Amino acid sequence: MSIGRDDVIHVAKLAELAVKDEDLTRLVDQLNRIVDYVAQLDQVPADGTSDLFLPGPDQVALRPDVPGSVPLARPPAAMAPEFADGFFLVPRHGAMEDL
Amino acid sequence: MTAAAVARATATRLAAADAAGLNATLHWSESLLDAEAARVDAMPAAGPLAAMPIALKDNIVTVQAPTTCGSRILEGYVSPYDATAVQRLRSAGALMAAKANMDEFAMGSSTEHSAYGRVKHPMDPSRVPGGSSGGSAALVAAGVVPAALGSETGGSVRQPASFCGVVGVKPSYGRVSRFGLVAFGSSLDCISVFGRTVDHAARVLSAMSGHDPLDSTTLDRPPMAVPAALPDLEGLRIGLPREYFPADLHPGVAAGMERVKQAIRELGAELVEVSLPNSKFAVPTYYIVAPAEAAANLARYDGVRYGPRKVGPGGDIRDVYQTTRGEGFGPEVQRRILIGTYVLSAGYYDAYYRKAQRTRARIADDFRRAFTGGVDLLLTPTTPTPAFRAGEKTEDPVSMYLADIFVCAISLAGLPALSIPVGRSEGLPVGAQIIAPFCEDERMLAAAGAVERVVAATEEVR
Repeated sequence: MSIGRDDVIHVAKLAELAVKDEDLTRLVDQLNRIVDYVAQLDQVPADGTSDLFLPGPDQVALRPDVPGSVPLARPPAAMAPEFADGFFLVPRHGAMEDL
Repeated sequence: MTAAAVARATATRLAAADAAGLNATLHWSESLLDAEAARVDAMPAAGPLAAMPIALKDNIVTVQAPTTCGSRILEGYVSPYDATAVQRLRSAGALMAAKANMDEFAMGSSTEHSAYGRVKHPMDPSRVPGGSSGGSAALVAAGVVPAALGSETGGSVRQPASFCGVVGVKPSYGRVSRFGLVAFGSSLDCISVFGRTVDHAARVLSAMSGHDPLDSTTLDRPPMAVPAALPDLEGLRIGLPREYFPADLHPGVAAGMERVKQAIRELGAELVEVSLPNSKFAVPTYYIVAPAEAAANLARYDGVRYGPRKVGPGGDIRDVYQTTRGEGFGPEVQRRILIGTYVLSAGYYDAYYRKAQRTRARIADDFRRAFTGGVDLLLTPTTPTPAFRAGEKTEDPVSMYLADIFVCAISLAGLPALSIPVGRSEGLPVGAQIIAPFCEDERMLAAAGAVERVVAATEEVR
């Protein structure tokens, strides 16, 4: 499989990433090199092993079912670019409906 | 020596490292060090890390200093809480000395991908210290601090430890809480440690290990003990995976491995050849799994919850997302987000992500088979070459990724592993990697302590 200019533009849109026109040629080249490289996984047989491996505990240790919170040294308002009345403020939705 | 005196001496060394142009720190101040020292000196009893100054990779959050992850997108961000690891180290009496430079969001193998400039190798400024935890490695190697925290997703502590000639330890996945470690690849991420010696690293690991209710992937078992170095390695069988000793291994690395094999034999262990046939697929597997997880984890940096916000020409919310992310993330992070989004997108999930997950299971199975087949530990080179020159691999991402060829598989399998220095090749450090079964971190450290005692780590290999 190879990645073309339109694929990069499409994936960048899915990733909510503004990519500059002048970077597209370089990105197409580098992403193709990566995709060509990972294609060697086609040599791995499809049988004999389970589909999923995750490290860590076999079972998640449950904590007491008691509501709690991490004490914060400063409130969210101090971190966010814009915050008012308990809400993060953003510009109008505009083109969100086009998704 | 009081913590106040330690803090003053540490500040002098940090200032000297900055003046020398190492570029290994992002944030530190004499006032923060003094406050840390006052806290430690007021402790009713000296903890196990009494007044040990420790540097933190800048993806581990603290309330007192900014956390940027080496990225413009987090410029000015200060966490409202401390990482669990930081809280535990403080309780053990350690001083948080500095936040260390790193590849942006821990993505890189050379610490050339920081938005705040590359970190220089302490022994040769034309070379890289490795990455992504290159700032932490350089600070330990330069003698600024005896220990530092880094993070591993695919070898980002062992590889720079090898390049810089210090000890680097990645614990078993789940032994150290990830609460307060900025997420990159959540099924792989581990807070890990650099130490001047195995003992420094083991003491730090022990102090911060153990179950944490704030991280449900931590193991429900007590904190790690600090193991004493074994007097010898009698009775141990140590496996040499043939896939990790290719014919084109750098001659200096090959000579370093011969030195450590000889030392291990003299300590009484038996060396046996084993095979990990799927390890050759570790790097391509990693470069599907990790970017896929990163694409999801980094979606939160959108200019809404974290600043600085950039509003694009359209002025609506999607312009905020796209412009903030487009201007805030550097080229390597953008590349990985694009690859991660691509392999998870409709039509490609089975071809890439599912296949990588299956291969990950096979890689982990290989290690399980080797250990259940009668091998106690595994020994490999940590890196295929000593530290490379700055700029040598920045234009070719695949070439950069291959610097992690001997460390990636262990991260995918969630196993403990460490790198110890075993010699110098033309003045540059060479490291050997010891790998242990899951949760046998203590045994690995005890064996490494024995090897460290007898290997001439700062002498040229022939």
